Amino acid sequence: MHFEVNHSFEKSKKITIPHIHKIEGEAGFWAKVMRTGEIEDLKIQTLLGLRQIEGILVGRRYFEVPIVVSRICGICPVPHILCSVTAIENALKIKVSEQTALLRKLILAANIIHSHTLHLFFLSLPDFFDIENDLDLLKKFSKESKSALRVRDLALEITRVIGGRAVHPITPIVGGFTKIPEKEKLKKILEKIPQAIEDANLLIETFKKIEYPEFERENLFASIFNGKDYPYYIEKFVKIGEEKFTFSDFYSVQIEENLKLFPVKRVKFKGGPYMVGAIARIKNNEKFLTKNSKEKLNQFLKEKKLGKEQYFKNTFHNLFSQAIEVLQFLEICQELLKEILKLSLKEEKPEINPSRYTFGRTSGLSAIEAPRGTLFHYFEIDKEGRISKCNIITPTAQFLSNIEEDLKLLLPKILKSKKREQIRKIRSLIRVYDPCISCATH
Amino acid sequence: MEKKKPKVAFFSLTSDEGCQFILLDLGEKFFNFLKEVELIDFSLIEEMPFPKGKVKIDVAFVEGLPIKKEEIKLLKKIRKESKILVAMGNCASLGGIPEMKNYQGKERTIRYIYKKLNVENPEIKEIDNFVKVDFYIPGCPIDGEEFLKFAKELIQGKIPEIPQKPVCSECEHQGKETCFLRKKEPCLGPITLAGCGAICPKNYQLCYGCRGILKNINPKGFLETLKKFKNPKEIEDNLEIFGIKDDIEEKLK
Repeated sequence: MHFEVNHSFEKSKKITIPHIHKIEGEAGFWAKVMRTGEIEDLKIQTLLGLRQIEGILVGRRYFEVPIVVSRICGICPVPHILCSVTAIENALKIKVSEQTALLRKLILAANIIHSHTLHLFFLSLPDFFDIENDLDLLKKFSKESKSALRVRDLALEITRVIGGRAVHPITPIVGGFTKIPEKEKLKKILEKIPQAIEDANLLIETFKKIEYPEFERENLFASIFNGKDYPYYIEKFVKIGEEKFTFSDFYSVQIEENLKLFPVKRVKFKGGPYMVGAIARIKNNEKFLTKNSKEKLNQFLKEKKLGKEQYFKNTFHNLFSQAIEVLQFLEICQELLKEILKLSLKEEKPEINPSRYTFGRTSGLSAIEAPRGTLFHYFEIDKEGRISKCNIITPTAQFLSNIEEDLKLLLPKILKSKKREQIRKIRSLIRVYDPCISCATH
Repeated sequence: MEKKKPKVAFFSLTSDEGCQFILLDLGEKFFNFLKEVELIDFSLIEEMPFPKGKVKIDVAFVEGLPIKKEEIKLLKKIRKESKILVAMGNCASLGGIPEMKNYQGKERTIRYIYKKLNVENPEIKEIDNFVKVDFYIPGCPIDGEEFLKFAKELIQGKIPEIPQKPVCSECEHQGKETCFLRKKEPCLGPITLAGCGAICPKNYQLCYGCRGILKNINPKGFLETLKKFKNPKEIEDNLEIFGIKDDIEEKLK
């Protein structure tokens, strides 16, 4: 790991990590800390250039949007595609079939599983064993890595079977899917789920054994919400702390984007930071976890002698929450597959650019859960069916301020540690958030 | 004595890192490939910084394109240290999605996001505008199996040849009623480099040419045909999505 600690100031020192590896996208960390422990300045800096995706979309035809937004991120193209098509469907008042809604839920759940397993196993786990290279991890955790890869392969297979391709799926468009998966293939996937659940259980065991650093800070958790089940695909409400808002009220009134801190539009709620992602979803929807997931969570609390409140105060538990969600979403996939297989699936072949849509000046918003948290897409469409305004709020843009708040608390505690240890702790805290800099800096 | 392993590195400039995820998605196959090489840099899976001093790289794969000045500096250093430099994917090779900005007037595009700030907003340029590129891996995203095939040649110091065949040659709809062009949809299959297995048409989506234009053709006649059933603006829009419009203009000169 490359780091620099500069002692040139008597009363303060700088801690910088020019390039934090093993996160999605490129970012660095920079802080100036006084000897007294006071933090003069602290920030996470993105090292990526701004591609200006929102600006690029203005003037483009509405049906190009999923193709373009997919390229915001190589690891979570699915939520970007689905959030954009549902926002456009809201604008154009298009209703999709039950078959479409179920297939979308399935491909989204698969994306969350795929992203979580990658992050848990290959990006974050090595932090807790001081392993610098994933090839060494594969040797040390040979059984566990086989399990993680198997779960990931299954999630990728679901994405491929429904989406036509794992990175930048092709079939999901405004109005539905260009191609419907073969039932035979879905059946085969369903048959593989019990094995994947077993693998997920092993993953949970692995993450139960980790010594999570002691850490406490009151978090404000946000996620979409319906009060009926574990929500992730388009819902009417957002729950934050104990408050509930319609998603449009939350997006347009309750949160604020800071446009002064280029190149990430940092988002705050009532002027303060908040948290989204796996730990936030579980906090807000714990009672809708499946029986097995709930059991695993409770076992963890019992073995670690933790109260629920303590669990949610420690951001490091975002990792264990992701492990729980891998199981949760595998069980969701299992149910969805059973439901889908009951339908007589038929090709709907929505046209790519149908003449039957009538355009007028109109707008649409959508909110769904991406692996890293709530994602918002907003579009205005003109009379020609071209985008006239566009805004995308990513999970990472929402939790960046929360990471910085956590780091402000962590830094004074590690000032006396060795440099190497300091850097290790800082980057492991940053990584438990699973930040996606490509998404944040689109 | 064990043979010295070729030194390989993966670098990421501004992009969605999708091509790197294609590699990780190969799973075991990719990790087996890594066993045959000495890995100098791949920031998604290891912590080692790219050294400031001299390194010798046999094959460097570069994804994305430089938007920040630091990225141009890094790209030049990569070139200096590498025997073979490979542009990996559509952004690095052809400008990709970000290049749409050039067609719109970059000053216009940024105003929709940051009105007041002074943001680094250069014209989007493929990496071969800054350094010599020895080989281009096409596609948005790249194809994993194709990558492995190319990579095996590259680590032996060979530059692979990609057969100049159109996407249609791999398309299951070719010559059938289901062909998009027969249905008067502006599919770019006939002028686009094959190798993807015509994956988009296979999934009932048009080919937008993400793998780039065939070297050995003049697209003029084909574009004239398209204009008979679609208005020119729509065709132009399609050419802009994956950064091939400028290459077409170059060929038509």
